[in-house]
Amino acid sequence: MSSQARLLLERVSKSYWRGPHETAVLKEISLSVYAGECVAVWGQRGSGKTTLLKVAAGLEAPESGVVRFKDQDLLRMSRSGLVRLLREEIGWARRTGPESDELEMLDYVALPLLKQQNMRRARRRSAAALARVGVAECSKGRWDDLTDGERTLVSIAHAMVRQPSLLVVDDPTANLDVLQREEVMGLLRSTAEKDWLAVLITVPDMPSMVHAHRIGSLSDGRLLVPSGASPDRDNVVEFPLRARGMSS
Amino acid sequence: MSAKNAVLGLVIERPGYGYDLARRLEERFGSSGFAPTGVYSALDQLSSDALVRSVGSRAYADNERAAPRTIYEATPKGVDHFEQWMVGCSSLAPVRDELYMKIALSKPHNLFRLIELARSQEEDCLARLQSLRRPAVAQDGPRAWSEVAVLLVRDAEIKQLQARVEWLQKARVVMEKLNEAQTRCSAPGDRVA
Repeated sequence: MSSQARLLLERVSKSYWRGPHETAVLKEISLSVYAGECVAVWGQRGSGKTTLLKVAAGLEAPESGVVRFKDQDLLRMSRSGLVRLLREEIGWARRTGPESDELEMLDYVALPLLKQQNMRRARRRSAAALARVGVAECSKGRWDDLTDGERTLVSIAHAMVRQPSLLVVDDPTANLDVLQREEVMGLLRSTAEKDWLAVLITVPDMPSMVHAHRIGSLSDGRLLVPSGASPDRDNVVEFPLRARGMSS
Repeated sequence: MSAKNAVLGLVIERPGYGYDLARRLEERFGSSGFAPTGVYSALDQLSSDALVRSVGSRAYADNERAAPRTIYEATPKGVDHFEQWMVGCSSLAPVRDELYMKIALSKPHNLFRLIELARSQEEDCLARLQSLRRPAVAQDGPRAWSEVAVLLVRDAEIKQLQARVEWLQKARVVMEKLNEAQTRCSAPGDRVA
């Protein structure tokens, strides 16, 4: 495993303004995600999980700190460079589905490829991505016809079809039962390992975290990670700033 | 709750010897805090109640001089007893927690230490969660009830950890606010807000 983190956040802070009141959502968060591992961050509702993911994926800029992806400083990149990165290297699993209700899932998952490939090739890769996440049977289905579990898996296929280096998934286990959750989390873990992908997810429920290689907890804008190595992942490089040293 | 019924259930699942049962007990109910030695006293008690019986022994493969291990299996009476326990009522465990007591009996000058304790416990909960292994379950196809049962029990354990962490985080935030207010306000006494 490379000793260089694919994604690195250093002392990242981010606030939102509600009228005259400033709310600090992230307070000097430091976090790294390596290729081949799935990192899960748990937090209560409103703890800043989605903001953390948006900052990590380059969709939002923090007020301070550093966000590096493959050793490139996202905050210093040109807008076009960032757009290219988001299109080609970072897969963001959207759980909102396609804009059009009429779109079949085979075409929805193929959409991100159409800028570079013709429809036939894009559909072929889309079919492979749907099969890879175990929902090949949904390719002719429409978003409204899918179960919550299928929607999650189709969203992951949509994010992975371009073969990104970083997969970011917000709340992949929402509304899933125990068995569906195991399936989705098992898939994310095995995808990270087999495709040498860095996977960063947030979860609202701790049972989902058992599948992650490393875990963290976000509360009051600070990230806490447990001490000690992951039991079945001894070769994973630890978070650079651990436990209380992770945040101020 | 003693380990007696848990050990009986494990013996019914598969006959075994003391060390094997202690290992299986830890594997299945690690978070319950049963002492490994509790298995031996449970086996003694189950034997004297005729709920399990010895069905022979197995010598150590790597140590011929060591005393052979006694293998236990459930008796018909033991199976009946287990079935009765299975359909009986299950009581809620009492909540007796040292940190709750400390907070309830604390004074404002204890806040700083209590915040540290809450943070440390939160870290312990996450460490315990990280130490839990993923259950070995089939990736595809229908799952056996034994696999689903393991998942459900593990979920219950983790949900307890989650509830604990949620409470610790909320308690810590409140205590931090009060501690800051106390630091700003130099007036003595218990009024800190």
